[in-house]
Amino acid sequence: MPNSAALVPEVQYATIEQQGEVAQLGMWVFLVNETLFFGALIFTYFVYRTTYPHAFAVAGKDAVLWCGTLNSAILLTSSLTMVLAINAGAQDARRAMVVWILATIGLGCAFLGVKGLEYYLDFQDQVVPVVDYFAKPGEGQAGELFWVFYWIATSLHAIHLMTGIGLLVYMLWRIRRGEITSAYYAPLEVVGIFWSFVDTVWIFLYPCIYLVGRS
Amino acid sequence: MTVTTVDRDALPNPMDEPSFLTSENTIASWLFTRDHKRIALLFFASITFFFFVGGLAATLMRLNLATPKGLLQPAVYNRMFTMHGIIMVWFFLIPSIPATFGNFFVPLMIGARDLAFPRVNLASWYVFNLSGLMVLYALIMGGADTGWTFYTPLSTIYANGYVLAAALAVFVNGFSSIMTSLNFVVTIHRLRAPGMTWMRLPLFVWGIYAVSVVMLLATPVLTMDTFLLGFSRFTGIGLFDPRHGGDPLLWQHMFWFYSHPAVYIMILPGMGVVSEIIPCFARRPIFGYTGMTMALMSIAILSFFVWAHHMFVAGISIYSGVVFSLMTFFVAVPSAIKVFNWTVSLHKGKITFDAPMLYALGFVLLFTLGGLSGLMLATLAIDVDVHGTYFVVAHFHYIMVGATVSAFFGALHYWWPKMTGRMYPEMWARFAAILTYVGFNLTFFPQFILGYLGMPRRSYTYPEVWQTWNVLSSAGASILAVAYTLPLVYLGWSLFWGKKAPINPWRATGLEWIAASPPPKHNFPRTPIVTQAPYRYDPEADTFVSQEGTPYAE
Amino acid sequence: MSLDVNPRRALSLPFVIAWLILLVFTGVSLFTAFLGMGVWAPVAEFGIAALQAAIVFILFMRLKGPPSLRWVFAFSGFFWLLFLFGLSATDYATRRGWPPSYIPTRPGITTLEDGR
Repeated sequence: MPNSAALVPEVQYATIEQQGEVAQLGMWVFLVNETLFFGALIFTYFVYRTTYPHAFAVAGKDAVLWCGTLNSAILLTSSLTMVLAINAGAQDARRAMVVWILATIGLGCAFLGVKGLEYYLDFQDQVVPVVDYFAKPGEGQAGELFWVFYWIATSLHAIHLMTGIGLLVYMLWRIRRGEITSAYYAPLEVVGIFWSFVDTVWIFLYPCIYLVGRS
Repeated sequence: MTVTTVDRDALPNPMDEPSFLTSENTIASWLFTRDHKRIALLFFASITFFFFVGGLAATLMRLNLATPKGLLQPAVYNRMFTMHGIIMVWFFLIPSIPATFGNFFVPLMIGARDLAFPRVNLASWYVFNLSGLMVLYALIMGGADTGWTFYTPLSTIYANGYVLAAALAVFVNGFSSIMTSLNFVVTIHRLRAPGMTWMRLPLFVWGIYAVSVVMLLATPVLTMDTFLLGFSRFTGIGLFDPRHGGDPLLWQHMFWFYSHPAVYIMILPGMGVVSEIIPCFARRPIFGYTGMTMALMSIAILSFFVWAHHMFVAGISIYSGVVFSLMTFFVAVPSAIKVFNWTVSLHKGKITFDAPMLYALGFVLLFTLGGLSGLMLATLAIDVDVHGTYFVVAHFHYIMVGATVSAFFGALHYWWPKMTGRMYPEMWARFAAILTYVGFNLTFFPQFILGYLGMPRRSYTYPEVWQTWNVLSSAGASILAVAYTLPLVYLGWSLFWGKKAPINPWRATGLEWIAASPPPKHNFPRTPIVTQAPYRYDPEADTFVSQEGTPYAE
Repeated sequence: MSLDVNPRRALSLPFVIAWLILLVFTGVSLFTAFLGMGVWAPVAEFGIAALQAAIVFILFMRLKGPPSLRWVFAFSGFFWLLFLFGLSATDYATRRGWPPSYIPTRPGITTLEDGR
């Protein structure tokens, strides 16, 4: 049952459409911030990769390629399910919307599961700097820098992904309260933008981590 | 189903509506407010507190430097200058004008009822206070001694002290900046009243917009940099350790990529404030409005291309130094254009020397001196000699204290009647302004000389031959301390016993002056419709036209 | 066959096609890594990543419609990174002693032949 009280815009907005549009704009502005945040990390990576190409190539061979590629596929699919959820919301297909959101959450959790397995394999491979690091022959000192980048980048990405999952759960709660309808589904679009951005970060992390030194 | 639109024009008459200060009186109504004006006052309280904490550190430093033997243990002195820098930069200067006057006046000046995201605004204050608690923890537990610049590998490996806590505080503080700037950018793009085109925006709003763009683009790099710093220190991973192949300068590149634009974050809102005050108290339009807006945006953009001028002697290549030196000369140009325009804006005006105007004029001169010394520092050959000396200290204090803090006090006096509904005692205010000017120059001009003579910064002692200049500087600091404490006294007095302020005591043209003093919770009874460019003052006829079109005669 | 096409299916089709293209691109990127392109491998891989990001931004994040202001915000972050990368490169490309020719060894780390 749609909750019509939720359709009154906040006092600084003239219409609910303006509120929705401004909310999306706000998320895009936030993404500028996120782009530069991850961009600074990738900058660090590039400085060291161009300085020590051989060490990075040797170190990068230990990255678990099948986990990374599978995770890429999972995340790209989750972006699709997210968009399908928004489409369903726009058409008031409430049940489909919930199903697609659950699918997105499921794929997000699958990503985390594969990542967890990959971390376990990394521990077995002894590529955890400081904790348990064994440098492979030919890697030299600088190979450890690759793995520092790996652990920091993937954990920060995972934290953002978990935030996205949390936001999606919050969306399910709001749908249950009838606050997301075809008349106003901007919150879902905002979460969708964030989710696809987390996907984009992974699109750039994938060649950084998994395609180094493969040839 | 129908979408309800609230009739925006059906809000009660401002004379009937209680002011935002008194409409609700519980503590919860303040701590959980969404009203941008209340949040501005909450920020006021926080930054004033940190101003005095940072000021206390400065007092101890100047007391120590009055004699070569000093007062503090060297290690304690090191922690003093570190905490002074950290607190003044992140906990006073960066939020100062945007989070207080920006929050209060941007919606009013553009004719909106609030910012785009009021809850994000409140969250920004809470995050700020959280980071404040963290920095206080670091301070009370003994402080850090790396300098506010946290250079690696000193900060990641060798420094004793609470570096991690301080770095974490800065990390969290960044989120507060980001939330504030996000709000401003979206608000200014989308919530302007009908008729308020970009080229009719008051220059203060342009200044806030420029500063918000800089904050958005610069702060995340610092966020990542402090994160890597904390992570390196905590785990010992050696990301910036040459023994592991790391580059200490990489940390510095990212740090200054933020911190140079940060100094422009600290000056741009001040420029906006001065651009409001000078037309009002010279009773004539600002000279070259379009040039001023373009100068603001140019400064914002060019500020990102100059960061390694802080690293000229750190070990970057000389060719890189030449590039950054050239860029630094470029960024001075729009600043100079602004100084010319402010000066010309006085020509043929009907100038009165009220307190806000005294602060604004002080700003222009002190900013010019600071800027000229900045050009000297941009010159590679000079910087090699004066880097790390008091010349640099004097330069940035001329800008950050001489200019920005003057602008802050100018704004405080200019907008005090609007925010509180009270007038302050004018003679005391003028006295404080002049005392500030005298105290400031006495404190910091000797430091130019000391730096040029070679006195290094961040040192608890110095050769006896330089004591005279140091004593002058410390004496000036004591005068400055009085001058900064005086407003606390008489402004506080005015809250209870000051004359009640009229709606437009300065006869200014901005939209904020058509709201009541102080404004009601939702600012305007009806959304104003803007028909005029800003600053339509006529000095000869002594009339002015408010931005929503009403002409006023004397 | 029913004449009225399910509007939701029609709306979803472009996204499904884009998704397939993205998966293919991931495969292509993976394939290029094994081709032995040397210095050009990262160029190709990151170029493909940029294309994928553009598809996600423009289609999935719906940059395509109005308001066009979002484009400014969407790409300004990436554009600004160019300044960080580019101006820092003036230092890293020309600094004497970089890359370091010698990193002190620690026990347990095998070094390269040239002592790194």
